[in-house]
Amino acid sequence: MLSPYRVIDLTDERGVLAGQMLADLGADVIQVEPPSGSSGRGVAPFFADRPGESIYWAAYTRGKRGVTCDLEQPRGRDLLFRLLESADFLFESSDVGRMAALGLDEESVRERFPQLIYVSISAFGQTGPKAHYAGSDLAIWAAGTPLLMTGDDDRAPLRVSQPQAWGHAAADAAGGAMLALHARHQSGRGQHVDVSAQVSAAQSTLAQVLAYQLGASEPERFGGGIKVRGQGLRGTADVADGYIVLLMAPGPAVGHFANHAVRWLVDIGAIDAGMLDEDMVTYADRLAAGQANPELFPRLQENMRAAVASRTKQEMLDISIAYDLLLVPVLTVADLAESPQLEHRGFWRDIEHADGRIVTYPGPPLQIFVGGEPFGYSHRPPPTLGQHNAEIYAEIGVDANELEQLNEAGTI
Amino acid sequence: MTLPEGTGPLAGVNVLDLSWIVAGPTVGRALADYGATVIRVESPSRVDTARVVAPFHADEPGVENSGLYVNVNAGKWGLTLDLRISEAQEIFRRLVVWADIVCESFTAGVLSRWQLDEPNLRRLKPDLIMLSSTLLGQTGPYNQVSGFGSQGAGMAGVQDLTGWADRPPAGPYGPYTDYPAPRFSLTALLAALDHRNRTGEGVFIDQAQAEGTLQLLAPALINVKNGGPALERRGNDDPQMTPHGVFPCRRTSDRSESWVAIAVASDEQWRALAEVIGANPSLTIGERREQQAAIEATISNWTAQRSAADAEEALQALGVSAHRLSNTEDAANDPQLAHRGHFHRLPHTLHGETTVEGPRYLHSETPGRPQRPAPLYGEHNRQILSELLGLSDEEIEHLAASGALS
Repeated sequence: MLSPYRVIDLTDERGVLAGQMLADLGADVIQVEPPSGSSGRGVAPFFADRPGESIYWAAYTRGKRGVTCDLEQPRGRDLLFRLLESADFLFESSDVGRMAALGLDEESVRERFPQLIYVSISAFGQTGPKAHYAGSDLAIWAAGTPLLMTGDDDRAPLRVSQPQAWGHAAADAAGGAMLALHARHQSGRGQHVDVSAQVSAAQSTLAQVLAYQLGASEPERFGGGIKVRGQGLRGTADVADGYIVLLMAPGPAVGHFANHAVRWLVDIGAIDAGMLDEDMVTYADRLAAGQANPELFPRLQENMRAAVASRTKQEMLDISIAYDLLLVPVLTVADLAESPQLEHRGFWRDIEHADGRIVTYPGPPLQIFVGGEPFGYSHRPPPTLGQHNAEIYAEIGVDANELEQLNEAGTI
Repeated sequence: MTLPEGTGPLAGVNVLDLSWIVAGPTVGRALADYGATVIRVESPSRVDTARVVAPFHADEPGVENSGLYVNVNAGKWGLTLDLRISEAQEIFRRLVVWADIVCESFTAGVLSRWQLDEPNLRRLKPDLIMLSSTLLGQTGPYNQVSGFGSQGAGMAGVQDLTGWADRPPAGPYGPYTDYPAPRFSLTALLAALDHRNRTGEGVFIDQAQAEGTLQLLAPALINVKNGGPALERRGNDDPQMTPHGVFPCRRTSDRSESWVAIAVASDEQWRALAEVIGANPSLTIGERREQQAAIEATISNWTAQRSAADAEEALQALGVSAHRLSNTEDAANDPQLAHRGHFHRLPHTLHGETTVEGPRYLHSETPGRPQRPAPLYGEHNRQILSELLGLSDEEIEHLAASGALS
């Protein structure tokens, strides 16, 4: 869908997902690295059979072509300008101020290429009192508020063990870039898109970041569930081989799922069939009116926890589908690798790397059908360092002689 | 006839938003911020869960009180339609003809029961762009799994990956798959719109919200799929950044707890930190990992003597990544969020005023903004039916009598 467009991707590990999202939608994305390689090539984890080869970098450069270019050299910057002549987007995620120090800040570059959409991804944004703060996954999650909301209430708050903050920001950058493309269709002009990972983290709190300003109480963390007015409510349960996410509650929004759970508990003989007469949709209202037994629901929860405890995650998923419950297994990374759902949807993609080995990747984020036909996702492997130097530099008019000079000068 | 047009790069783009809760409505919100005309269709019988979820204005639950609902629906026009009623389906079909984009998040198969699924809608509007967004996708053995993003967090691995190694998973805050999913669907919808404008071809997008979320776990997935170990939850530990964690600070009188996050990404940052806390600045990362517990105790001693704000500022001045763990009051007073104008005050019919988040990015030439408050339940029924679809008062009365609207 985006095949008419070209992206010059100067990002490191912080913004590298953004360009991939456009590559997955068909754009020609050129990852530009310093001749010594991006710092992203040093980010863990590393391939078990290729020590030192970053899985992280491979994960998010898959689908792109790659060149090297030393932007510290004037000659490298000239080369970048030649690349930008045919580009629609530039993505960068360097420390705030670095692009300006190189004379590559958005104003200078856009003056030269007014049609260019220049997207910056940073921890706190390009300007403002914290613009020069040192960013990190943990500090961003702290500054955006989700960190304080996450974890067990008797220990320090914690993050997701696979870092997330930069991913959210880079994914926002892709959307912001596309909005700027539509603006360019209107005006003929590009613009600067300034993405703050702190804001992206704030947008990952279910609007709780607004609580204080709405006069609502502060959200409190509670392991495996939530706290409402100081009271912890567990949203998970133990099963024979791990955990499940279990939501069983009365009320108009989800009470019918609780009725389904009652049906299952009756069917397996765990509770008396008389419970089928209790409608969980109306239970809360009846309770408030003094027309329901207050011990009934807590007892139902105990019955449910007891019934699931002896069953496996898979058994409970099958039961959940059969009875339409709000219940799913807590899948581990190992479980995901074997997921029948992902298998059925053709989620995994085997991609041949430049060295000939086959590597299995997670599939596209979406299944897309264009004009009724499945959208053809690229199977392009992540580029090795400078893999497409000759190819891409030839495309912008660098002849063999000049290429050799650029090599000798260490520019590429 | 038409509704008043928005301003911005998407002015003139019409969106019919049947989705609910967060993952879908967030997409419509972004489109509205940039000028699209978005009609949010709600069921009059089954209330949007977002309307009954905190934070509530003044902590009072109620279908018009949720800050979540106003946050993800600002800028939209509100219509109630009970799609189980044939008269409502007919209105819906007419709106599909009006729309460029339809977003929906029913369980797979529900729309086909009403002949309102993608193939049927495409017959009405051949170049339609449609997003169907569910937890696990339209196809596959588990496509009927019901659930919110909290279930999604379980099915996308994030629940299990958030917690201490010696404890059951704590899980992330809230319905985690609702956070990454709209970022992917928005980008694809805008690419589809660009494609349609150039080629006239329609696009259908089948989103499994879990699969969007898995993009952010890609390194762990590639590792386990290619002979490496399966990542497990490990608190705040990071093998490439040590020390790395959340440390207790001196409490201010109005807080029950106070913390600062510290992440040391290089030997240079360690030297700066070590000088301040009184540790050996020449330790390598290998040595720091061996002495992790002792180092963390030394840091905690230092942080416990100062406020989180002081710790953050002292360490940032040395180039060490640190930030207080902001609560929502801190966010309201955060000078950086204020500098970016992240919080927008909007009028609200019942509450006088409400606050919503701004767009996720600052555009230098065409900044987005919420162009109107979120609709009250069915607020624009009459306007949409009469001004947009040209229904007479009589026809609207007939429609109301059929039960289609309430």
